[in-house]
Amino acid sequence: MRFFKKFNIIIIISLSLVVVNMFTFPDENKILIKDVVISNNNNLHYISFNQEISLNYLIREAIDKGIPLVFKVTLKVVEINDIWPTKTIKREVRYYQIRYKALREIYKIVDINGKNYEYKNMDDAIQKILKVEDLEFSFVDKHMDYELWLNVSLERKKLPKPLQVNYFDRTWNMNSEKSIHKLGKLN
Amino acid sequence: MKYIITTVAFIGIALLILLAKAISNSDSELISSDSFRILLGLNIFFICSLIVLIAFQIFRLLQSIKKEITGSRLTLRLVMSFALMGVVPVLIVYLVSVNFLTKSIESWFDVKVESALEGGLTLGQKTIDILMSDIELKGKSIAYSIGNSDPEQRNRLLTDLRAKFGIQDAVIFDQDSIIIEVSSEKSDLIPPIPTIEDLERGGREFFGRIEEKGGEQIFLKTFTPILTKNVMSKKLILQLTQPIPPSIANLALSVESVYDEYQQLTYSRNSLKIIYILTLTLVLLLALLSSVAASFVISKRFSSPLAMIADATRQISKGNYKKIISEQGKDEIGVLIRSFNSMTSQLEEATRNSEKDRERLEVARTFLETILAHLTTGVIVLDDKKIIRLNNISASKMLKNKATSMSNKPMTEIISNNLLFKPLYKFVESYIDSNKKNKKEVSQEFKLNKDKEKERTIMLQVTPLNDNKGKSYVLVIDDVSDVTQAQRHSAWGEIARRLAHEIKNPLTPIQLSAERIQHKFKNKLSEEDSEILERSTNTIVNQVNALKIMVNEFAEYARPLKTRKDAVRIDKLIDEVIDLYEIDKIIQIKKDKIIQIIYADQNKLRQVIINLLENSQDALKEIKEQRIKIFIKNKANEVELIIEDNGIGIPDEIIGRIFEPYVTSKETGTGLGLAIVHKIIEEHEGKINIERIKNSGTRVTINLKSGKK
Repeated sequence: MRFFKKFNIIIIISLSLVVVNMFTFPDENKILIKDVVISNNNNLHYISFNQEISLNYLIREAIDKGIPLVFKVTLKVVEINDIWPTKTIKREVRYYQIRYKALREIYKIVDINGKNYEYKNMDDAIQKILKVEDLEFSFVDKHMDYELWLNVSLERKKLPKPLQVNYFDRTWNMNSEKSIHKLGKLN
Repeated sequence: MKYIITTVAFIGIALLILLAKAISNSDSELISSDSFRILLGLNIFFICSLIVLIAFQIFRLLQSIKKEITGSRLTLRLVMSFALMGVVPVLIVYLVSVNFLTKSIESWFDVKVESALEGGLTLGQKTIDILMSDIELKGKSIAYSIGNSDPEQRNRLLTDLRAKFGIQDAVIFDQDSIIIEVSSEKSDLIPPIPTIEDLERGGREFFGRIEEKGGEQIFLKTFTPILTKNVMSKKLILQLTQPIPPSIANLALSVESVYDEYQQLTYSRNSLKIIYILTLTLVLLLALLSSVAASFVISKRFSSPLAMIADATRQISKGNYKKIISEQGKDEIGVLIRSFNSMTSQLEEATRNSEKDRERLEVARTFLETILAHLTTGVIVLDDKKIIRLNNISASKMLKNKATSMSNKPMTEIISNNLLFKPLYKFVESYIDSNKKNKKEVSQEFKLNKDKEKERTIMLQVTPLNDNKGKSYVLVIDDVSDVTQAQRHSAWGEIARRLAHEIKNPLTPIQLSAERIQHKFKNKLSEEDSEILERSTNTIVNQVNALKIMVNEFAEYARPLKTRKDAVRIDKLIDEVIDLYEIDKIIQIKKDKIIQIIYADQNKLRQVIINLLENSQDALKEIKEQRIKIFIKNKANEVELIIEDNGIGIPDEIIGRIFEPYVTSKETGTGLGLAIVHKIIEEHEGKINIERIKNSGTRVTINLKSGKK
């Protein structure tokens, strides 16, 4: 205990912060969300948007090697209040992915609505995933205006384990900035 | 601290095990990549904690060394040794492991394996291609037959041909996606509507594709245009669906799966290496730091008993023999501690005994010193190099040394300050330097006389001592002047008594006879003879009177000790004597206001004063400015009387023997006056001293005890 008296808790905390900081690399904004369109129909919101994803040669090589790239789309409806902290009303996560099938030599796309697409050419497949269309999102609250926070990131947990745990390789830290939109009242 | 180190080390090891499990590719739900991240962080945190702990320990150790705490240097050496013992093998193992690991991972990606997998995959693709070509031919054949048949016969023909070619499903669509005919092995088939793109393309040309179902089955799906005789009719498209035989499909999928895994592994091998090396490095660091941290604990465990012993030894060297070390274990260190404690106990016992002996010795020494200090006899202990090893106060006083102690000083140095004792030193020197083997005790009397000083009779006794340090000599120096003088006085007293007795008796008959002769024959003789007779008889009578006086003085000197003790005020007595002699003009008296009473024989004291004043008067006969000073002072328990004159003084050659009978500087004196004075003062237990005053004159100092009867 004498040790803790001499080296007080501040040193311990500082040490912890240094260690934590070592493992919390900031994600690079390699995904750009643009042209977001939100429409309502039959108590549903339909969200469409385009993306720009910078896939360098390493990622392209990874796709060709059969490594599936799973992108996570996080939708968050939040209530903004000037006084109180932001309150999350609803949170939904969707995925879309691209994967090369060596046997058939095709690039298989599973889009955000779960539909499968197959392409012989990688660029065609990538073009497909860049466009997210008619993402269904049910949210019924006619009383207030809310904000929709949209974020796209590469789901690192779906990568092979060596790539998951290699925190020093920042190639796989792909994320978009938070895209914020006013969520209109449902008709 | 040792508990902290042990706990941290155990936690670190547990974390490492979990970390190792996490990096294995098993699909453990317990440990996910997030858990791995946390575990990695915790491991690094614990490693940092260990580094801080070790740094703290090193800091403390260096502080201990700076403060010169016993055992700290030994701990440092042990820590360094243990750390080196741990670091070197672990580093070797680490380097070998890293090398082995890198090579092992590289060996997984053999070119042959990759070629084999690619070959397997290509084989699967070719097989499917062959099956596809087979279906293409069958499809074209069925399409041709259907195209050339009547519409009423199409269904039967389709079923026959499908069965004949062993096709699972055959469906005819028109260009508007309307099912025209269906034939299937399954009676309840509801065929899925193909996409418009597929139908458009199928209307133009043959095409086929491979489809998967549930990741286990592979289907071949072909679209073939049916060319009918009626050009105006709608375009028909034949869709065939044929599953690939499960044996081939499973093999193909299996090859694809392995190929994918291999490719993924190839791609992520660098990451794999990094993770394994990182884990190995963490293991290394944890092992190293744990061993270094443990080395502190072990080193302290080893060094602390030794430090305790060293500390106890220091305590013992300072005289604390009660220091006992708590016993530890039954190993060699435990035995050492027990032996040390036993030694300490024995030492304490021995010291206690020694202390008692020392105390006894000290008492004896103090006793001896007290005796020596109170001895009037001087005692000196010399070594064979004539260096004084011990002396008493009397010896210092006798040799007129200012310091009480003359220890470690050569005898020559002491003697050089008082050359009077040179004969004694020469005697001692010749005795010590003599080569006699068995020296015996010797003694010799020395009469030492220095100008203006009283002759001193010194008795020297030299006794050889044999002790461990070599030869020593004890010199006993005794001033026997007083004894000699007392013996002389006694002898003189006896002579005087006999003379008085033998001479006094015939004097009266002689005087009477002389007076009778003068009386009887004065008138019978002639005037001339009568005058001779008268002169002769007068001479006889005068001489007899003179003899009587002398005999009386002798009698007085020889008189036995018989003194009365009256209360006497000495100042009054002096006043009486001065009145009697009428010499007050030349006398100055200085006295304290009240003079203490002394108990003495008043007549004898009067005689003392008379004798001294007569001596002063005699000394002043030829002096123009005659002066006698009398001082009477009270001192502690005594009265001091000083009589000073500015007369001719006492010659140097006799001043040392002035109190002896017949020693006088006067032509007519008997030499008994001062002897009687000295005797009377001694009878009254007083002290008398005569000294010459520097320029001229004599000072007599008498001290008499007061208030004592």
